[in-house]
Amino acid sequence: MLRLIKSESFKLSNKLKAWLGPLLIMVLVLIAFPLSIDISQYDLDKFYFSIIVVSLLMTSFVATEGMFEEDFEDGSLEQEFLIEKDFYKLVLSKIFVYVCLIGIPIAFIGALFSFANGVAIGSFAKVFLLLSLSNLLLFNLFAFGNALSINKGAMLGVLSSLPLALPVIILLGRAIRSIQYGDGFSTIIILMLGIGLVMSAIMPLIISATLKTHID
Amino acid sequence: MKLFSAQNITYSINENKLFHKLSFEINSAEGLHIKGGNGSGKSTLLRIILGITSPSKGSIESFNQDLKIAYLGHKNAIKNYLTPIQNLELLFNDVELNLAFKWLHKFGLSHVQDELTANLSFGQQKKLALIRVLAKSSELIVLDEPFVGLDQVATDQLNNFLIEKLSEGVGLVFTSHIKPMIECKVLHLGRNNA
Repeated sequence: MLRLIKSESFKLSNKLKAWLGPLLIMVLVLIAFPLSIDISQYDLDKFYFSIIVVSLLMTSFVATEGMFEEDFEDGSLEQEFLIEKDFYKLVLSKIFVYVCLIGIPIAFIGALFSFANGVAIGSFAKVFLLLSLSNLLLFNLFAFGNALSINKGAMLGVLSSLPLALPVIILLGRAIRSIQYGDGFSTIIILMLGIGLVMSAIMPLIISATLKTHID
Repeated sequence: MKLFSAQNITYSINENKLFHKLSFEINSAEGLHIKGGNGSGKSTLLRIILGITSPSKGSIESFNQDLKIAYLGHKNAIKNYLTPIQNLELLFNDVELNLAFKWLHKFGLSHVQDELTANLSFGQQKKLALIRVLAKSSELIVLDEPFVGLDQVATDQLNNFLIEKLSEGVGLVFTSHIKPMIECKVLHLGRNNA
């Protein structure tokens, strides 16, 4: 497992486009949005969360696009299958590395921008935690979409898994309201953490079976 | 020592049988050369032996569940955005890495070891991919067209390596259109198998 985490981190950190692209898109959207509207008309500190949520959805969508495609194309998946006999550990490692190297920085950027746009500094940690957990859920879902259509262009599968992300967005919206009105935040975070843990355990099993079908 | 045996392997695509009721076995220190024309199912048979692809009928019995296999298929499994050195570091532990570097030198890749793999020629990439097999300690070596893209020097080096591995007791299964210098059993896939 450690071997896989090490090699996946090494590979991802050497693919500049794969990790820097989503971060730049996040920054770009969060900067462009306030510039494109007449700020004085809106209560930006409340309104800004919506755009963070949409940016988060979009960037996690882009970040997971090539998660398994490259390994499928160059034959690395077959090699990994010969060592491990399934892809469970590989998928688990990949999602972990993607969340650490892309998801958490994205969450940090989101939290930073929400603070810069008038959200109370005391909420920074809450926003960061919330966005990190959301990324964990979204990366698991989109990794599944990526695995689904690995031989037909991974983006197609990620798109088809988009409806699965809607409950996460609804949950995220509820959590944001709880931050804004200071009510029931911990309940929602515990719920998200629980779903995240269950999903992180089960989703790699499903993705592993999907990948095996593709290399067969 | 018996490594695995294939019993009545049949593989069909859309009702067309690529091969029908093939049975063979592989032992330690023994080679199997799978021959046949394009599309005769050589690569598919290798993938069935490895357990990557499931046969339509029949079964493969492995006599050692922890059999260490070194495999090189049509896909090189090397990362184009990394240098040859980085590719090897990704694959090997410290002990194997020394051997991998020796092969890098033997194959004449030392002068390109810090360049991006994407910039290497097809033959150089093939050599780099072969190091995955050459430097890995294994009990069974499975190679799909290993001589394609190699110059005469590298072909001889690979032949010698495989002969040496066979003498050490490693099993070998490979496909090739080129007649190798290795003495081994031959399995000819063709119309008579379908």
